[in-house]
Amino acid sequence: MPPSNPLPPKENALFKRILRCYEHKQYKNGLKFAKQILSSPKFAEHGETLAMKGLTLNCLGRKEEAYEYVRRGLRNDLKSPVCWHVYGLLQRSDKKYDEAIKCYRNALKWEKENIQILRDLSLLQIQMRDLEGYKDTRYQLFILRPTQRASWIGFAMSYHLLGEYEMANSILDAFRTNQMKGPYDYEHSELLLYQNMVLAESGQYDRALSHLLKFQTQILDKLAIKETCGEYYLKLERFKEAETLYEGLLKRNPENVLYYQKLIEAKRLTTPDQKVAFFDLYKADFPKAIAPRRLQLTEAECPGVFTQLVDEYLRHGLHKGIPPLHVDLRSLYEDQSKADAIEQIILQYIENLSKLGTFSNDTDEVKQPASALLWSYYFAAQHFDFKKDTDKALHYIDAAIEHTPTLIELFIVKGRIFKHAGDPVSAYQCLEEAQAMDTADRYVNSKCARYMLRAGHVKRAEDMCAKFTREGVPATENLNEMQCMWFQTEAAAAYQRLHQWGEALKKAHEVDRHFSEIMEDQFDFHSYCMRKMTLRSYVGLLRLEDVLRAHPFYFRCARVAIQVYLRLHSHPLQDAPQTSEPDTGMSY
Amino acid sequence: MTRAKIELGDVTPHNIKQLKKLNTVVFPVSYNDKFYKDVLEAGELAKLAYYNDIVVGAVCCRIDTSENSRRLYIMTLGCLYPYRRLGIGTLMVEHVLKYVEHDGNFDSIFLHVQVNNESAIDFYKKFGFEIVETKEHYYKRIEPADAHVLQKTIRQANSTPLVNGNVPHAKTNGHD
Repeated sequence: MPPSNPLPPKENALFKRILRCYEHKQYKNGLKFAKQILSSPKFAEHGETLAMKGLTLNCLGRKEEAYEYVRRGLRNDLKSPVCWHVYGLLQRSDKKYDEAIKCYRNALKWEKENIQILRDLSLLQIQMRDLEGYKDTRYQLFILRPTQRASWIGFAMSYHLLGEYEMANSILDAFRTNQMKGPYDYEHSELLLYQNMVLAESGQYDRALSHLLKFQTQILDKLAIKETCGEYYLKLERFKEAETLYEGLLKRNPENVLYYQKLIEAKRLTTPDQKVAFFDLYKADFPKAIAPRRLQLTEAECPGVFTQLVDEYLRHGLHKGIPPLHVDLRSLYEDQSKADAIEQIILQYIENLSKLGTFSNDTDEVKQPASALLWSYYFAAQHFDFKKDTDKALHYIDAAIEHTPTLIELFIVKGRIFKHAGDPVSAYQCLEEAQAMDTADRYVNSKCARYMLRAGHVKRAEDMCAKFTREGVPATENLNEMQCMWFQTEAAAAYQRLHQWGEALKKAHEVDRHFSEIMEDQFDFHSYCMRKMTLRSYVGLLRLEDVLRAHPFYFRCARVAIQVYLRLHSHPLQDAPQTSEPDTGMSY
Repeated sequence: MTRAKIELGDVTPHNIKQLKKLNTVVFPVSYNDKFYKDVLEAGELAKLAYYNDIVVGAVCCRIDTSENSRRLYIMTLGCLYPYRRLGIGTLMVEHVLKYVEHDGNFDSIFLHVQVNNESAIDFYKKFGFEIVETKEHYYKRIEPADAHVLQKTIRQANSTPLVNGNVPHAKTNGHD
């Protein structure tokens, strides 16, 4: 790059060495060379050298001096692309992306075709979702480096993200025919699938379908081909073909709920009777599969039919001892008649099992395992808990504990019943008992800690978590480092309930920082994914980051923070004696 | 329908609370902290029994070298009430017998049982245990306080040659 204020050869050589030192992270040496130039009175105010000195200082953690030198350098040489680029890099490292973009633009004003600056600019633009700007920059890069793969991909991507599918597709087509000359490897396959995604998003399913079929031999992800084809057939109302496809997919995986739903769509089944009959077919085809049995329960509407089906389903689960059986069936409770049917059946089981050892009073039934009664009690407890009938729920969970006092799950459910009944203290005591029974179980450990937080015992919860955090570091520190957000959101809420405003805000802000960090982490993928051709996942990532803060963890912490700030605004803290509560979090 | 799965597992510091819970409900006597501390060191001599992945039984033994013989003493062997007569006790006794056989150096296995506990006595008789002695006032806080000593002889002293001489006095101090 031609410096606007050229140095004589000797100093220029030194300057080049500063640049090299910066690239190789030899910052101390870089400073030495900068000093050699700047110590000569003739070049003491040389802009680019001052700027580079600042940038080097920044890498050594001396941020304030860095800004001072970079700004001074820039003032001395406002027409230097180097100075502007350096200022941009400094701002970027400080996460001031908007400012950095302005700097890069200024740099490009003085040197239009600097590839490095253009690349840096494009990364910032996509990070900030300046999609129009991104498109322009990717176009420039494409023109300047038409032989590079990343130029094509980035150029196409910029149109795709703007919803200009035709253009994106044409670029990808041209790239594929001109640049991708075998072998048909993974990257080639991903590129084809990405192009297919672009076509599908443009709503031209017929084109997407023929594209997929045309290239299917070159695409390595065979499952993706089938699943995507199925979607297209349905969209195009080519039901016969969709049917064949989904039947094939079900043979691959008879537990995939989606396949059944799509197949119903393909067969255009609408009435509950049709759907129940449909699932009967697949129950016979896949006798071991759970999915068709469970889905059938959702579809069955006729009370007699439902009772018979759920009876079969419950017996299987209770015989085997499937702990989440109630969680699995809970969604059926939306239909009151289904909930009633389940209640009737489970009570019948309990009566028969405790008297006869069988589910029915049918003498032909083989004796059930001794654990069947236990799991029936367990199910009944959860059933009544769900109905908010605390007394009955406790009755059945106590019966279960009496029957088998060694089953940890029982104490967890008992705790949950207390929680739902509004008794967080008894709740956490149950969880403490469960936790003591298997101290190697991290799930129970975490659950117990959460219940302690609900009961306001923050310290105890920390100690509980400490059993599973890294040794030698305070648990809270390690939990923060691990971005353990369930803990931090619960702790924030717990502190808020305890009126420890500072601590509550501290936790809320820790969570906020995690979200900022996840946004930051995105940065590396802008170049990485282009290089590795994982374009579908990359687009997925961008879309996830766009709605990241819609996450419940963020929402709950934001609510805590807002409520605390409002409270502190209406009841300023001076009114309270400052000494009574040393509040460490008040710097916020 | 499939059969229930019964298997044995180790006692560890992580799950010892389950053993305590089990013993509290199964036995009328309570055991002190030392009992549980020793159990953790006992290896194959202390096992939990699982029925369909639920802890329902446990056996704890120790090696007794009093009375000039090397004997295995079954301290506790029990199963939760709803899971009795399902083969869980048998599995635990068989484990003990296998241990003793594999070790090859035991003279006998013995245990105490409350005199009125007929089902237990019948149970052990199936495996070749016999009542060899009755101790009065063996139990302190429960009724009846008397206990039978049930014993299964593994080898008559002198009749079986020792493979490795861990217990040199066993041969000379036999009483036949």
